[in-house]
Amino acid sequence: MSINYYEENNIGFIEFNQDDSKVNILTVQALQELTLIVARLHKAAALKAVVFISKKSDVFIAGADIKEIEGINDPSNGEAKSKAGQEIFNAIEDLKPPTIAVIDGVALGGGCELALACQYRLATFNPKARIGLPEVTLGILPGFGGTYRLPRLIGLPEGLKMILGGKPVDTPKALRLGLVDRLVTSNGLERHLNEFIDDVCNKKIPVDKYSRRTIKGLAVFQEKSFIGQRIVFQRATQDVLKTTKGFYPAPLKALHVIRQNFYMNDRAKGLALESQAFGQLATTAISKNLIRVFYLAEKYRKLGVPDTEGLVSKAMTKCGIVGAGVMGGGIAQLFSYMDIWVRLKDIHYDALALGLKSAAKLYRDAVKRRRLKAHEAIVKMGKIASTIDYTGFRNTDIVIEAVVEDMDIKRKVFRELNSCVNEQTILATNTSALSVSELAKITKDPSKVIGLHFFNPVHKMPLVEVITTPQTSKETLASVLALVKRLGKTPILVKDSCGFLVNRILLGYLNEAGRIWEEGADIATIDKIMTDFGMPMGPLTLCDEIGLDIGIKVLRILADGLGERFKPVAIFEKAYTEGFLGKKSGKGFYLLDRRSLVKTKQSNLLNTTECLQRMVYPMINEAARCLEERIVDDPGAVDVGMIFGTGFPAFRGGLLRYADSLGISHIVAGLRQLQDKWRAARFAPANYLIKLHNEQRGFYS
Amino acid sequence: MGRVAVINGIRTPFCKIGTDLKDLAAQELGRIVTRELLERTVIDPSTIDEVIFGNVSQPADAANISRVIALLSGIPQTVPAYTVHRNCASGIESVVQAAIKIQAGQGRCYVAGGTESMSNIPFYLTKELKEILTNLSKAKTFLQKWQALSQIRMTHLKPHSGLEMGLTDPVCGLIMGSTAEVLAREFDITRQQQDDFALESHQRAIRGRTALREEIVPVIAPPRYKSAMEHDNGPREGQTKEALQKLKPYFDRHSGTVTVGNSSQVTDGAAVLLVASEQRAKELNLKPLGFIRAYVFVGVEPHRMGIGPAHAIPQVLKKAGMHLRDIQAIEINEAFAAQVLACLKALASDGFTKQFGYEGYTGTIDPAILNVNGGAIALGHPVGTTGTRLILTMLKHMQRHNLNTGLVSLCVGGGQGAAVILER
Repeated sequence: MSINYYEENNIGFIEFNQDDSKVNILTVQALQELTLIVARLHKAAALKAVVFISKKSDVFIAGADIKEIEGINDPSNGEAKSKAGQEIFNAIEDLKPPTIAVIDGVALGGGCELALACQYRLATFNPKARIGLPEVTLGILPGFGGTYRLPRLIGLPEGLKMILGGKPVDTPKALRLGLVDRLVTSNGLERHLNEFIDDVCNKKIPVDKYSRRTIKGLAVFQEKSFIGQRIVFQRATQDVLKTTKGFYPAPLKALHVIRQNFYMNDRAKGLALESQAFGQLATTAISKNLIRVFYLAEKYRKLGVPDTEGLVSKAMTKCGIVGAGVMGGGIAQLFSYMDIWVRLKDIHYDALALGLKSAAKLYRDAVKRRRLKAHEAIVKMGKIASTIDYTGFRNTDIVIEAVVEDMDIKRKVFRELNSCVNEQTILATNTSALSVSELAKITKDPSKVIGLHFFNPVHKMPLVEVITTPQTSKETLASVLALVKRLGKTPILVKDSCGFLVNRILLGYLNEAGRIWEEGADIATIDKIMTDFGMPMGPLTLCDEIGLDIGIKVLRILADGLGERFKPVAIFEKAYTEGFLGKKSGKGFYLLDRRSLVKTKQSNLLNTTECLQRMVYPMINEAARCLEERIVDDPGAVDVGMIFGTGFPAFRGGLLRYADSLGISHIVAGLRQLQDKWRAARFAPANYLIKLHNEQRGFYS
Repeated sequence: MGRVAVINGIRTPFCKIGTDLKDLAAQELGRIVTRELLERTVIDPSTIDEVIFGNVSQPADAANISRVIALLSGIPQTVPAYTVHRNCASGIESVVQAAIKIQAGQGRCYVAGGTESMSNIPFYLTKELKEILTNLSKAKTFLQKWQALSQIRMTHLKPHSGLEMGLTDPVCGLIMGSTAEVLAREFDITRQQQDDFALESHQRAIRGRTALREEIVPVIAPPRYKSAMEHDNGPREGQTKEALQKLKPYFDRHSGTVTVGNSSQVTDGAAVLLVASEQRAKELNLKPLGFIRAYVFVGVEPHRMGIGPAHAIPQVLKKAGMHLRDIQAIEINEAFAAQVLACLKALASDGFTKQFGYEGYTGTIDPAILNVNGGAIALGHPVGTTGTRLILTMLKHMQRHNLNTGLVSLCVGGGQGAAVILER
């Protein structure tokens, strides 16, 4: 039983309260229960009003059952599922008494669509409440009437924005949009609801839900005139193409559907279009991949340590950061943003000034984008205090070392930290490649040492590699994982080994891109191959962004630790010595006169497929080695790492999901072919890959 | 009853109005020093019983600035805070408040300081313009709005400088510099004497730069965060007597002797001290810089406000049961050279001593122990901060030279004097 129906004072209450769950989900079973209740209401004597309400705290209805969507294998099956939901919601919309959805928590996807089917929506100030249609982020579109009802309710421009962007809104915004009719406090909700029902019955709120909003000025043109609507559609199409680069079909499909059903006066026809499109999208590989990534992200976001029940993770109120460079400054900003006090240390004030400047810039941008109020930015920025000695480190809960990638300097810092923190302080290093165990050795208490590898730019990249050594204690790990979660990042657990996971996979790829360039290919062409594949930027653009000095440094560390295959290509070394470091030196791949460094061999026309294979297959190969060496113990960690750490296209499901979709045999064969052609050992398939090939398995199966 | 200990203290560099610190509001300056004090003492912020800051210009966007500072710098919300105003002695008042509360058993550990951003003192609209704008905001129709706006005259647009108003005594009507002129005439202080004194202040401040660095937290200031301001920018290395002599009198153009060169500078800065009972300091394992032995505030004629120290010093000595010769170092705030020199002259004169019954508590002050690291003429005088700065500078000086007693005093706009005796 997940839905209760009862009547009170001639008001019907449909109360969602799913068994054994913290949230309400519109499962098939729930929809069936709802059908029966609504059918009964249609026959029942006249009620004053019908109220849809949730008994869960902070949740109205979280959406449809993603498992069920994942299970859709046939477009007609998907279409039928969508139709079934639409019919129930139509029945709700057609109820005689006024229908009211009471939203005191998240109302997403199907939950939002249910609220849209109601005649009135009453929401609360609950800060956890979110209303929206995030379907497109899973590669599908709203299938329970959302594309038909939302643009009619809140107007075409805003309706498109919510459906195509998939971003939910908070309740004050929902009120401004006209998505809800009234905002009340959660406290005394019952009284507020009664008042609202009285107002509804006394016709104080207009009956027709699609004409309740008053619009003025430009909005009238955009919403009411055909030309205005054309412009809105056009702009939305451009926006969608810009953000999805054409890789994600769902927003385009949704746009296509809305473009037609917005002008239909026949609900049945409009909804038929929607369910048809839903069926088509739900069976696409992209949707399946996005759903898998969604599950993966959920899993890793909540990552905990096994067997640590009852273990209290350390409260984190103050953090020491050593090194105010790009990473240190970024980490300082992130911590202060999350209201953790920061003591930022560097060896001279100019370095600190740069760190503070970059943090201040992020805060200024946040204010400009209205993500923060001006006073909030001042308060948060004020949480960073800078120093050139270790004063104030004694009472830190965690110290993050983010100095240059040089073992000797890192050792020195850890030796210094020994005497200026307390016994409980966790010591973390933000190294991207060096050994954490090595650093742990020189500390008083290696159980408190851990690797915490953030990605650049820190405020944007959602991944954190958490690197444990055999000595790292469970308490330390649990505390750090809780911290990462609080920082809003997704952790993956990585064993302490040269280059950890993401850099190890990524740098071979960058090096290979360099090699292709060295052979005479055009920089823009190389980059385009990868952006066409779905990477957010090409490998050489990425080199410019992170700086070739860093790239070379890490490659050298990897070559030392893992072998020849990571030896920086000669052309990188040459560009590096000549100071072509990328953005930071003002000249890099995109600003340099390539001809002075390499001769273009016009005869060697680029074979796009081969280039793609040369860049992507070694990544798969390296990931296989990582799994073999148990750097991570799950292919999911590789995929999460690549998607959230490097922007590997989510629609491909992640690196290893992509490998599986190609087939391991295909990759092994491809690698061998490359090995033969280029006489290069770096393409030799890893043992683990050959093993999978022999066993006829994929990474996931 | 135990003594009142000053554990440690810190201040920002003092920067002339409109220079390096101009984009930091007074509350931000206070936040920087308070946070740094917490960092350097590594004290658990919840051990603090109350936060007291002195501030003169009291920014409109930071009502009860002390509370704002406390919250911005990470002192728990449960710790109360209040702001004090005794004009130029606000930064001493806050410390004295802490001492009084400790002595009264009200609390055991206080953050006390002073903050002032003279760069951010606003201009005020004329009363007429304010009324017109109020009417405008009430106006509903276009015609009413037009009527309201049409009332504006050019003369209404002239802003009043908040800074100038703040430095003008509303009772005697004199701006502070003019009160110094009063004393210069009365005590026959020549232009030459004042300029010599000013030059000495600059020279001492330059020499004392390394010493003063001990009390300064370098500030990397917004909005450009270009580099760290590590020391006061008021002292002029190449200051010459000739350059000082060239300046025109500022307050009395024709017959005056007080110039901007022999007056204190208008400056931004904040300073803060951690004050605790001797017992509490022991419990917390904190080693005090020194102790507050006695304090006093006196009243004088508003138009002679600069003479305040000449009354405060004998009175505080009497209170402490000490004599001038027992004091090993003295700081008298250099609001104006003329005013400091007038005080020294008064204290050295028998007539003054007899007139006010200060027998035994006055005398000649050795210039060698007075303002050894320069004073406000070189360092600047952020009005709400100076009192705290004097105590901090004195305690650090006593520590450096292993002195046992020190006295700080300042004159106070509105006609007051303040003095505190410190000991180690």
